[in-house]
Amino acid sequence: MRLVRRDWRTTALFVATVLVALTFADPKLPLPLRVYRYAFVIDITQSMNVRDYHVANMPADRLNFVKESIRQAVHDLPCGSEVGLGLFTTQSVQLLFEPIEVCEHLRVIDDVLGHVDWRMAWAANSFVAQGVYAAIRDVKNRDPGIRLALFTDGQEAPPQTIRPTFSGKPGEIAGLIVGVGGLHPTTVPKYDRENRLIGYWENTDIAQMPESSTAYETTETVPRPPREGYYLSWLDENHLRELSATTGLRYHRLETPEGLMDALRAPEFVERRTTKTDIRWLLGIAALLLFATVYLIDGGEASKRT
Amino acid sequence: MSIGLSAPWALILGITALIPLLKRGQAAISYPSISMLPSDPLSTMLDRLLRSSAAAAALSLSLGIAGPYLHEQWVERVGTGAHIVLLLDRSSSMNENFSGSYMGGRAQETKGAIARKLLAEFVARREHDLFAMIDFSAAPIYVMPFTQDRPAILAAIEATSGRGHGVTNIAPGLAMALDFYSGKPFTGSRIVLLVSDGAARIEEETRDQLRQWFQETQATLYWIYLRNPRSGRLSEKPVNPGESTTPEYFLHQYFQNLGVPYRAFEAENPEALQRAILEVEQLENLPLHYLEKLPRRDISGYCYAAALAFLALLLSAKALEVKSWPV
Repeated sequence: MRLVRRDWRTTALFVATVLVALTFADPKLPLPLRVYRYAFVIDITQSMNVRDYHVANMPADRLNFVKESIRQAVHDLPCGSEVGLGLFTTQSVQLLFEPIEVCEHLRVIDDVLGHVDWRMAWAANSFVAQGVYAAIRDVKNRDPGIRLALFTDGQEAPPQTIRPTFSGKPGEIAGLIVGVGGLHPTTVPKYDRENRLIGYWENTDIAQMPESSTAYETTETVPRPPREGYYLSWLDENHLRELSATTGLRYHRLETPEGLMDALRAPEFVERRTTKTDIRWLLGIAALLLFATVYLIDGGEASKRT
Repeated sequence: MSIGLSAPWALILGITALIPLLKRGQAAISYPSISMLPSDPLSTMLDRLLRSSAAAAALSLSLGIAGPYLHEQWVERVGTGAHIVLLLDRSSSMNENFSGSYMGGRAQETKGAIARKLLAEFVARREHDLFAMIDFSAAPIYVMPFTQDRPAILAAIEATSGRGHGVTNIAPGLAMALDFYSGKPFTGSRIVLLVSDGAARIEEETRDQLRQWFQETQATLYWIYLRNPRSGRLSEKPVNPGESTTPEYFLHQYFQNLGVPYRAFEAENPEALQRAILEVEQLENLPLHYLEKLPRRDISGYCYAAALAFLALLLSAKALEVKSWPV
């Protein structure tokens, strides 16, 4: 019997060869990618020097705990994600650099994060509510797609008698207010410019009224802080939750770097992007499969040499 | 030179190379009795050649799928350039335009915005220089270490579009800038590029300290002074000199006596600022050792090329194959 039909092996081998040849055309397909874009803003007022964290292998003071947590987060974010860094004191926010890609610029991000210091503060007060609003305005001016993660203990110092109003729309900028510190009132260390401990802040140091009252809308009377004794600081969660409700930012209490990472990776903060992905490997695998079939499937009648 | 794989798992596909060694991959043809045929060494050799090229094709294909690449490397080169610290004034007056009216932080005509744009162009043009950056107002802020990471420096310059805050306090900023040079080898020129729109008194003690540090580090100081029309010129003695009313005049005097090269550029409008930056650009070019980053390079193309060659060989052999035996 004579079968005159096209030899499928030749065809398969031919197709495989064409597939391999196609890899030289550098084929790319847009594939979806999940990335994150964050501006991390760190409160660097002196209450952030309070040592009230007790987590193994982590710094005890709030500022360094925050820095280490952010460092780990930056390392864990998927490539293609972007991170910017900013500082907050008084009622304002200053961004050090706009979000840059985490994998390529890891060294620089690590270095700058490591150098964040309370002594960079341009003033010593902290008006948290205004700071949060300022951070939101700043992000909105740059790119409303950037998520904000603002790290603060939430304590207004000196205590505020009046509440500023939020002029933005709630939820306009997505992100997190991250509460830093413990709930238990703790003394605030006082350092000199050389970072030597020279004592603890006392209430008499802080008790004066806010410098400018023009920025506030109403006047209420609140109990004046005590005139003597140590000034105590704790994580003012009620205040931060209130700010969270006003601004639409989510609230997260910083307890471990892992917890922070989970909060940062919440689905609502994902940014979907498509990137052109190299698909030469797909062509390669297809060619390899065809090639293997040519050899694996026995065809025709066997007639072996003996 | 080290090689990495972007998908090491694909190496396992290399097993497919064994298949052609075990299997024939050709259609069998009926023949009454092949034992009558004498064994032919040429045919045997041809068979081995084809099978081994089939194996080689499978191997190079699997290797290509595994995505081999050369790691990125740093190569030391010698060029001309400088270590430049950008020392940027972030006090609130940078949000004003050159005639002194407040424009809002994001406006395009502010001193800050114009300085930002020109500096970004400057950084982009000076491709071999290392840049570091410090923002200062009341206290200096460490923004960028010495780096060749251009996009990072540009992101830092861009970030200064936010509102500035506080007063101008130059001395701590200068001290931090000089500290960047400590422990660094002397290669290329060292430039502190101070961009500010005002000045402040420096305490006597700090002046001596700074003068000493300048002499130790041998850094050149360039001061781009964004002057607004109401304030005085650096070189003219003011009518009623006083360190609190005309601090820029005294600061200029002090800088001139630092014992290191110093130049001041007064810019009272955007064009003058551009001229000043262009001039800085021409001034400093000393031999500089710098590292150039050779990016990671994909070499899987070579594997696919090899696979293609072997497949082409097999295909041509296929074409020559006898499909049926003339009986």
